[in-house]
Amino acid sequence: MRPCGVFDERYIQDIAIVRTWQHWLALIGALVILYTFPFYGSYYLISLINLLSILIIVILGLQIVMGYCGQISLGQPAFMAVGAYTSAILTATYGISFWIALPLSGLSAGIVGMISGAPSLRIKGFYLAMATLAAHFVIMWIIMHLKITGGIQGLHPPPPQIGNIVLDTEERMYYLIVTMMVISTFAARNLFRSKVGRAFVAINDNDLAAEVMGVNLYYYKLLAFFISCVYAGLGGSLWAHYYMVVHPEQFTFMHAIWYVGMVIIGGMGSIPGVFFGVLFVRLLDEIVLFSSPMLSSLFPWLGPGPGAALGLSAFGMALLLFIIFEPRGLAHRWEVIKESYRLYPFAY
Amino acid sequence: MEKKKLLAFFGALFLTMAMAFNPTSGIGAEKYVTYLGLEDFTGPIAGITVSFNEGLRHHINYVNDQGGVDGVKIKPILLDTRYDTSRAVSAFKRYRREHKLVFILITSTGVGKALYPLTVRDKVPIQVPGVGYFQNLLGWAITYAPPYQDMFGASMDWMVDDWKKKGNPGKPVVGYMGWDNPFGRENLLGGREYAEKIGVKLLKPEYYPVGSLKHDLWLTRLKDYGAKYIFVSGTDPENSNVVRDAYALGMMKDVQLISGVWGTTMETGVAFHPEEFEGEVICSPGIRGVDARAHPLAKLWKRYTKSKPPVQFSYMLGMSLGIMFEKALKVAVQDVGYEKLNGEAVYRALQKITGEDTKGITGPIDLSPTSRRITRDVKFYRVTGGKIVPITDWRRCPDTVSLHKW
Repeated sequence: MRPCGVFDERYIQDIAIVRTWQHWLALIGALVILYTFPFYGSYYLISLINLLSILIIVILGLQIVMGYCGQISLGQPAFMAVGAYTSAILTATYGISFWIALPLSGLSAGIVGMISGAPSLRIKGFYLAMATLAAHFVIMWIIMHLKITGGIQGLHPPPPQIGNIVLDTEERMYYLIVTMMVISTFAARNLFRSKVGRAFVAINDNDLAAEVMGVNLYYYKLLAFFISCVYAGLGGSLWAHYYMVVHPEQFTFMHAIWYVGMVIIGGMGSIPGVFFGVLFVRLLDEIVLFSSPMLSSLFPWLGPGPGAALGLSAFGMALLLFIIFEPRGLAHRWEVIKESYRLYPFAY
Repeated sequence: MEKKKLLAFFGALFLTMAMAFNPTSGIGAEKYVTYLGLEDFTGPIAGITVSFNEGLRHHINYVNDQGGVDGVKIKPILLDTRYDTSRAVSAFKRYRREHKLVFILITSTGVGKALYPLTVRDKVPIQVPGVGYFQNLLGWAITYAPPYQDMFGASMDWMVDDWKKKGNPGKPVVGYMGWDNPFGRENLLGGREYAEKIGVKLLKPEYYPVGSLKHDLWLTRLKDYGAKYIFVSGTDPENSNVVRDAYALGMMKDVQLISGVWGTTMETGVAFHPEEFEGEVICSPGIRGVDARAHPLAKLWKRYTKSKPPVQFSYMLGMSLGIMFEKALKVAVQDVGYEKLNGEAVYRALQKITGEDTKGITGPIDLSPTSRRITRDVKFYRVTGGKIVPITDWRRCPDTVSLHKW
């Protein structure tokens, strides 16, 4: 955020991620809070941040392909599964170190994602959504039927290790997951200051115009899928070693819908939007989950079904209100707040 | 105006959040233990889990109304995890430090596997679906029905008996139809080996996608390959849809259809289209149909819901879990007393209630140091004249889990 009267004088300032001392202060403060959190945060909140951080990595990937490049993908949970299973197979079956398995899981998911994204040159919009949906079911079917993936039994990958330190507690995994989330966020943010990122945005705005300007559509669309799925794969690998189990039931089509919802609610084409979307959906989900016992105790005659449905309805209602009042996503509201700050004390 | 509405919305959201993060307990300052249920009330298996949960909850209410187990009441926290692993894990982490959390019920295999290492670390026993993996593991997880493969084995035993009773030589040809997912495939992990062991010719299994509208293709293929019995392993209402398709194809006279545990109930078709289900056999680990309705505990439904009792099989099965827990809690309280009561005490107690009954809802409890099956008995029912009536007494399931190489 730049206060009123601060102007960029050089190009390097214009494209800088951190622009002012207030920016630096906020960033350092946030990082200090984040990295000291295990010292004062509760077990539940630490585990919640672990889960949110993994989701943020996965949704950052979806934001790249969907929000920035304009290619709808419903296959993100399946690509996450590819990463999770790659990591689990390499570590649990072949005894390879997690630190080698982690990048390889990103790479394998990226390659599978690139293949799944191949139809993107010919088809767009809902048709592409259908193609990626098909990829989801094909991938999950293959995972369920292969012997190496453990079939319906799944696999039990070991926790990561640094020397003699086994990362088998919430607090220890916290540092790994949060660090990965910070690096992923920085990489995603940086991507859009590069030629590649601008090509993605150009394709999203108007692919025909982008092609006329010399953007190789096929190359960049596939690259968007690749990068997006690398994120999903890395998230999947962390997921596998965090939960220490991978099972076909953990990566369902419903997750694909929720992930797309997170991108839309957070705001398409915005990195902060990913944080807003994940936090909003997941925290609302947590509230609904934990308010069910309260509803049951207040209205015992409701029973568990209607009680849970009431919570779910409240969740749907919140989303509906959200779409009515904030259709451009939470990131837009954030931009409005920033603009107000930037123009203060002037009204406009 | 828009800002006001937005403020009101976020204000309401904040209040909900504040209330949700301070859940109230239905139990005051009495002695109590916490029973955590991580279930699916709005997801893919909600059709069975909701009434399953009602049975469990009503029994817990009943026990609490009677003053608890030796004065110790049970505080149920029953959550809708929507068949989602991350929701369930999050819920567990939120509630793992609840006052005397001694038992966790989980209705999803994936969730059970994900939570198992965490619950073992906390020394809290869990109850999971009838998956052979957990019986083989012999750890802190007990199944809430005999393992699916054991029930499939018992069904094959019944088929062989029925085949002989009809005066046929040799062994019957058996077809298998199941959902193309972990649940649908579970029966054959041990079930296939058992078929070989008893000399039953098991045809190549037919797996169909969850939610298929028509099942003619798989049914006719099994019939064409000579199946005399077809075991259908799905979850109702889809399981009943398979039977209806078989009826429409005119197969019910030539081929005997047998549904697995989550198959046909009165509510999913028999009451409305009895002719379509006539003759169908159901392998059940608990009482159902006329038995379920006649059971004295079925009255709890009316007592706690004030409505006409549409008593389902899963309602009674849920109640049997409550009875099992009550018995284990009683032993644990007697063994260690209330002050030292914890998950480990309940885990030890669960292994001491071998042979106890669940008031006739299931066969005798089988839990022991070498068994994690709540029971090993099943009963066979047949749809006759629009009713689900028993055709056998409790029959012991074969141990098919041990035949599989895990």
